[in-house]
Amino acid sequence: MNWLPVIALLLGFFIFYFVPLVLPSDYAPYLSLATLSGLDSILGGIRAGIEGKFHVDVFVSGFIFNTLLAALLAYLGDQIGVDLFLAAVVTLGGRMFLNLSLIRRYYLTQWNLSRQRDAERT
Amino acid sequence: MSLNVFLSSIRNNPWVTPVTVMALVLGALLAVSLKTQQSIRSTSLPSNRFSGLAAAYRDQQEQLKMANEEISKLRERTTQYENEMASASEKTKLLNEALQEAKFLAGLTEVEGPGVEVVLQDSKKRPPANSPIDIENYIIHDSDLQRVVNELHAAGAEAVAINGQRIIANTAIRCVGPTVQVNGIALSSPYVISAIGDPDTLVSALNLPQGVLTDIQAIDPNMVKVVKKDKIRIPAYTGSLVFRYAKPVGITASNAGKEEEKSAR
Repeated sequence: MNWLPVIALLLGFFIFYFVPLVLPSDYAPYLSLATLSGLDSILGGIRAGIEGKFHVDVFVSGFIFNTLLAALLAYLGDQIGVDLFLAAVVTLGGRMFLNLSLIRRYYLTQWNLSRQRDAERT
Repeated sequence: MSLNVFLSSIRNNPWVTPVTVMALVLGALLAVSLKTQQSIRSTSLPSNRFSGLAAAYRDQQEQLKMANEEISKLRERTTQYENEMASASEKTKLLNEALQEAKFLAGLTEVEGPGVEVVLQDSKKRPPANSPIDIENYIIHDSDLQRVVNELHAAGAEAVAINGQRIIANTAIRCVGPTVQVNGIALSSPYVISAIGDPDTLVSALNLPQGVLTDIQAIDPNMVKVVKKDKIRIPAYTGSLVFRYAKPVGITASNAGKEEEKSAR
């Protein structure tokens, strides 16, 4: 298993947790949505990676673009009085569950295979 | 050893490096997002303190009530002493009579007499759906109490109290949250306004066409009840009477003012 992304996530979290940077509360919902979108992109990237369909350009541009788009969409929704926020949350949430389950299955299969191999060896 | 594991994973999986870099960015986003939410939560009053504060408030109200009862007992005793001292000579007797009269007029004594009792209470009804009438109209407000008290005074009421709180010269009636404060004491519906005066005059003043009660009765007649009484007891004012800024004007009045302040305490 690849622990590097998890370690990087924790590292980034702790570095910025102790940096005294707090956004005005007006922007909090947009930031939250951007975070959610970023999480979705990472999970999507991992999934693509284990399926062997990973493209660096698609991943990096997707991460940046989706994050900005999610925040922009929520802002637009606020301006015109439509809860686009919810639409983004539902879509991103659904996709994250899907990606997570695929990643989980992949690593479970790998684990089972390696156990079988060990059993055969002994 | 552990470094080799990382290196081999990077070599075997081209996606690990970009994902790692972006995970770093995501961690930063998460941290800032979390801190922002925390700062929002800490600026609003945490709801878990409400119950404690409410209990403390009730406690304080209870203590205030007890202190007020003690004040009224002590003031009664002061009056007794004043009466006893007055028997010394004709001069002191006259002085005491003037003093007792002033206290009576100021609302510092319990009084009794004929009058009316007006009960104002929040309506149990709710406005029908799609009604243009605001729900606020179904509640008794401080302004309703003010207008009724004003009308009673205009009709010659000599002593007025709301739920046992005597209305004196500098009594304020005001709305604080869901309650109405009179003399700084929080009262709630039903409000019983007792007034001493000519019962017939007071009742007809209250029932004037387009008078103070018309609007309330139009919403719900059950919100208002007016009863004539042969005998009403109205308690004395028990709040603070210390004047810090106003000083009496005149030569002899300055001494009289000090005397009054002392007796009021």
